[in-house]
Amino acid sequence: MAQLIDAAGLSLPVSRRGFLAGTGGLLAAATLAACAPSGGGEAATSTFGHLLPGDVPAQWDRIRAAVNTKLKADLGFEFKPEFINWTNYASQSLLKFTSGEDFQTALSARWLNIAQLIESKALEPLDEALASGKYPNLMAAVDQSAFDANRWPDGSVYGVPAVNSAARIHHVVARGDLVDKYAGGSIETFDQLEKFWYDVQQKEGIPGYINRNSPFDVLGAPTGVLYAQGWETPDFLPLYFSSDSLMFVPSRDAATTGSTDAVPFWEYEPYLESLHRVRKYYEDGIINGDRLNADPATLKSQFDGGGAATCWGITDGADTSGHLDLLEQAVKGASLVTLLPFSEGLSAKPNQTFQADNLVVVNAAAADAEKALQLLDWVSIQENHDLLQYGEEGTDWKAVGDDAYEQVGDYANFPGFAMSWRVPLERKYSRMSESETTWFDWSKEYDNFTLDPFATFIPDLAEVEKEHAQITAAIAEFANPLFAGAVDVTEGLDKLKSALDTAGLPKVQEELNKQADAYLAAQK
Amino acid sequence: MSADLDAATNSLADPRTARSGNRQKRRGRDYGLVLLAAPAVILLVVFAYGPMAGLIVAFQDFNVADGVFGSPWAGFENFEFFFTSGGAGRILWNTLFLNILFLAATLGSGVLLAIMLNEIRGRVTKRFFQSVIFVPYFVSPIVVSIFLQAFLAGPSGRGGLVNDLTDVFGLPSISWYTEPGPWPWILTVVKVWQMGGYMSVIFLAAITAIPEEVYEAGVIDGASRAQMALRITVPLLKPTAAILLVLGVGRIFYGDFGTIYAIVGDNGTLFSTTDVIDTYVFRALRTIGDFGTTAAIGLFQSVIGFVLVVAATLVQRRYAKETSLL
Repeated sequence: MAQLIDAAGLSLPVSRRGFLAGTGGLLAAATLAACAPSGGGEAATSTFGHLLPGDVPAQWDRIRAAVNTKLKADLGFEFKPEFINWTNYASQSLLKFTSGEDFQTALSARWLNIAQLIESKALEPLDEALASGKYPNLMAAVDQSAFDANRWPDGSVYGVPAVNSAARIHHVVARGDLVDKYAGGSIETFDQLEKFWYDVQQKEGIPGYINRNSPFDVLGAPTGVLYAQGWETPDFLPLYFSSDSLMFVPSRDAATTGSTDAVPFWEYEPYLESLHRVRKYYEDGIINGDRLNADPATLKSQFDGGGAATCWGITDGADTSGHLDLLEQAVKGASLVTLLPFSEGLSAKPNQTFQADNLVVVNAAAADAEKALQLLDWVSIQENHDLLQYGEEGTDWKAVGDDAYEQVGDYANFPGFAMSWRVPLERKYSRMSESETTWFDWSKEYDNFTLDPFATFIPDLAEVEKEHAQITAAIAEFANPLFAGAVDVTEGLDKLKSALDTAGLPKVQEELNKQADAYLAAQK
Repeated sequence: MSADLDAATNSLADPRTARSGNRQKRRGRDYGLVLLAAPAVILLVVFAYGPMAGLIVAFQDFNVADGVFGSPWAGFENFEFFFTSGGAGRILWNTLFLNILFLAATLGSGVLLAIMLNEIRGRVTKRFFQSVIFVPYFVSPIVVSIFLQAFLAGPSGRGGLVNDLTDVFGLPSISWYTEPGPWPWILTVVKVWQMGGYMSVIFLAAITAIPEEVYEAGVIDGASRAQMALRITVPLLKPTAAILLVLGVGRIFYGDFGTIYAIVGDNGTLFSTTDVIDTYVFRALRTIGDFGTTAAIGLFQSVIGFVLVVAATLVQRRYAKETSLL
């Protein structure tokens, strides 16, 4: 006979069988309770999940509370975005979609994972909803041509473009104080930029340029920071099934002959030259040696702390706002300049597809497209857009003129590219550098760009899915070290070619050319 | 009265009635035990056996929209992905080689540390060192990867503490993150650092179970501390080591994804010596989100693991019966 001691120290006679049965029963009940669906179904259905890359902005809890108060009053639900590290965003968001996780919207695009998402039927087609007339604010803020430029080959629109310019051009964000010191105050050509990098590296002991590993740095599309030819003749864009896989170079007269004749990137001489150049930069210490391992947040901290002469930028108006405050705190008298060293300056007319770099897509598994579009419509109203984008007026920002804002609080701007960027609603950062203002304004004009002959060509993976996956694995293993400059070019290319042949390169190349030729024929 | 007595006597005399009574008693007694085991059994069924139904996905061209019941069959196509990749042989070798290294190194270091801890006489000192070597077990692989970058690469990937040290002795710097050769050994050092303390606790528990009389006999025979450790402690730790070995062999086809991916990531220059089944599958499939192929590889790893556990147990039974599980 077992005995239990009660709280008062008295012993309670409990049979062994009773003790076992009681304990077992309690554990079983607890186990079953743990397996049961959680309560609070109402709360679960009234929260709007959204996936986006990057870190949680400063003061986010306060801003989200303000956004949710208004959102709940207007639409009856709350907004709860999930921030995922940039490095893992593409893969993690893909897995969340394909595993049927419950959230409504996410950032996607061709450079992320939209092809795979559509292939696996994870996205909700939006045409019917957009044409319903129920979302007037959204349709007024996003031009119909922007939707059409992002139409998938099956004719459907799968995402709402979140852009604030006509085209996004990759470029260099440089320390203005160092440009003054080592380049006489201006850099207008790639040769001058290269000389600046070497001077800074030798005299300041910091790398000329830091970035995480990216094929677009080396194989421009049409420009890449390390791709010299792109600043001379930015007149073509590579073709690919997905941006983390193999890049192909189409024939330059494909549009007139109708024959794409695309070849792997190493068969294009300027790309090969670029690989050798990057290898030299790696060996000379001009670029960071940890491109293959570095975390984007760490690299940003390094640049903002004065640990590099230049970093990567894109013409979305965030060069100055993204770095200046922290840089000034770390380096007294520091400044920023935006550099696009086109040989033709502002007269350059780079090729563009005008496809959005950022699309807000709707999760088919969430089966609540209406709520998703309601939110996208809601953030297309100036007042709501400003609250989410810049924070509370007076506390976080003050209006400057009609179209600019001055940041007065710590709220570091919502990453609008993942939700709320709308060309007519955006305000300009009041401290934006003169050079960034010039290039940002330039990037908003469609006439400053040349429409690429393959502008709306999006190849279909279905016929080469297995080969494509194996090629992508080979690219990660053998091409990424080449793009980082970490291996000898000749040796690295030999290994890459061998791996790609085994993975099925001829079949993939043939399929791409077949689809591209069909696309060109349909354009005539 | 007499009739009642007869009935009772008959009842006692009838063996079938007696067996039935015993069974009822046993059933009553076991009821509590069954109930006590129920939560563990339920958890096992729900989380270990239930999900096995999902293995069906390994034979399907699975997509979320059509679900498990609607997705088309793909036969063995999902298995082809890995075996036709061209790197299958190397990846299988890496998986085996790294796991054998990890298993041998962590078991060896665990035994060594346990013996060393056992030799410490001061109770407080012993507890202190035991805690210190156990702490790395709780350090996340992400944090380990940051430590390693500081040691081996430094800011901008140039330098690092190890290279600073080699510079002092006039030795050339090594670009560790582009040299695949040393990485199986670097990862093994990391593994020992992480798991050595954990393993030592298991072996230390086994050492404390060794009867004191055995050591006293050793002292009487004039054995030194080292001889006693080698001739008494190590042989008596064999059963514990055997169990850990069999458990480890069962997972020998599973790469240590958490540690390897956190440290190596997408650094292709290191794949030739560090790419294991799990990292390869993750890298290849994150781009297409194909659950069928992932499930196929998982099934392959499980089947091989099961075969190896059975084989290891049978070999152990045949050649080391005294330490056998069966």
